[in-house]
Amino acid sequence: MPARGEGTRSMKIVRDLLAIVLVVGVALLAATAGRDRAFAHKEKHTPDQLKAFEDIFIDQVKIGDLLFHGDGDTEKRMGAQLSKTGMACAMCHPFASDTHPHEFPKFQEQINKFATLRDMINWCIEKPNEGIKLAEDSDAMKALEAYIYWSNRGSKLDAGRH
Amino acid sequence: MARTLSAPEAKPDRSMAITRRTFLHKSLLTAGITAGATTYGWLPLINTVDLAFGQTAFKFAWLSDTHLYPKDVNTRFVEKTVRAVKEIQAMNPPADFLIFGGDLAQLADPVELDLGADILKEVKIRKVFIPGEHDWYLDMGQKWERLFGKSPWTFDHKGVRFIGLDTVSRGPDYWTAKKMTPKERMGHMATLDGSVAGAWAGVGRDQIQWLSTTLGNWPKDRPVVIFTHNPLYEYYPPWNFWVRDWREVHEALKSFKNVTNIHGHVHQVLYNEIGNIRSIGMLATSWPWPYAPEGVPALTKCHLRVDPGDHYDGVGWSQLTMGAAGKIETEYVMWRKKEHLIGEAAVDSGCGDNVNQILSPRLADREWPFYGAYK
Repeated sequence: MPARGEGTRSMKIVRDLLAIVLVVGVALLAATAGRDRAFAHKEKHTPDQLKAFEDIFIDQVKIGDLLFHGDGDTEKRMGAQLSKTGMACAMCHPFASDTHPHEFPKFQEQINKFATLRDMINWCIEKPNEGIKLAEDSDAMKALEAYIYWSNRGSKLDAGRH
Repeated sequence: MARTLSAPEAKPDRSMAITRRTFLHKSLLTAGITAGATTYGWLPLINTVDLAFGQTAFKFAWLSDTHLYPKDVNTRFVEKTVRAVKEIQAMNPPADFLIFGGDLAQLADPVELDLGADILKEVKIRKVFIPGEHDWYLDMGQKWERLFGKSPWTFDHKGVRFIGLDTVSRGPDYWTAKKMTPKERMGHMATLDGSVAGAWAGVGRDQIQWLSTTLGNWPKDRPVVIFTHNPLYEYYPPWNFWVRDWREVHEALKSFKNVTNIHGHVHQVLYNEIGNIRSIGMLATSWPWPYAPEGVPALTKCHLRVDPGDHYDGVGWSQLTMGAAGKIETEYVMWRKKEHLIGEAAVDSGCGDNVNQILSPRLADREWPFYGAYK
């Protein structure tokens, strides 16, 4: 049976080892966070976090709104040319009406294929507007998509409807 | 709306009923007519009107919403305006007059207005004009009035009193406090779904007073036709598909049995009746607006969905006939709809998707320095 002094020393060593493991673990987590992946839902969200998420979305909505309404400065900044006819998206789709984002994907008559909203956005840019179509994962495409979805967000999801 | 606001049994006098007719692609008004109290539908293709009130039948043409850009920006709208003008000039027998219903230009640029004036010179019949907001807010109507004269105006023709009102120039001042340039002011006005220009469409107390005075000596049972750019009722205020003082206008007109309001701005087949007043929306030559997400009058039979890949679909002009039997007929000359104009089934109807379309007003143009489109 170990003497009382030896037991206390052993417990101290274990405690120190645990502390070291904890510090190293936290340091590793801190070092990897934001590199390869973001860790989500490990803590309760703060109001500041939620506002930050919303701000990121609404910023994209506003950029998409400006692109959708033919703002030349925004197009230039995004490297986009959405129209060569003077026409803007909103001239046929005020409030992004008749874009029906909630109905995609679906068979789209004009394109004659099963299409996504991004396909249709590019068709409108190329055909009626005679502009230059966007890369599907471009910032301008995502902003346009954000605005169209945001403006129609009260509509019921109805994928595939003609 | 009509149910709520109309007195029991109140309807426009059927002597000017709009009738259903088959579209004739060459715009001839010779097809058989089925008149009757139940025939609200009409098949538009050109904007012309046949009118007659116990006298000689006659017709006139409506052209509006050409939205011309300078030729180096867009020739598409120029080509369509030229086509409409040629067709109007070729009407046989000729129309008694042409009413141009506003939005000749896109941004009220003098180049656009001069271009429009040049094209319209090809129409040799009498022409009368009312302005649209796209013609006005660069120089507050100076160029427009130099070219086409002032509104309101009135004239009597073959038993009908015609009136032209200005529904665009009395917008609230949204530009001075923000020190906007004339181009910025025009840009906001030219954005149908913009949040800055507000409820700009209105007739104004001065014109309503003028209207009452002008009609003071006109028999209550004789027909009155009022041309406006915006509809004289509340369809969809966020896009100024109304005039804000439409109730006062209706009050001034309520003692007349036979009032027809013919309007532009909406770029779509549209029909409504409130009390004794009927309103008929005309097509644009430039592009069709979608039906608003709410407020489409129950009496409207929406046109077929438009093909956005075809610049000549969903657009055109109109001819209206006042026949000797006392009927007013509207015939829309929509260039690409040959056999069918009206979409009865939801899947074909231009307003069929409105049942599941809840939309939001813009955000970006409410914030400084986000000053939206058309800088």
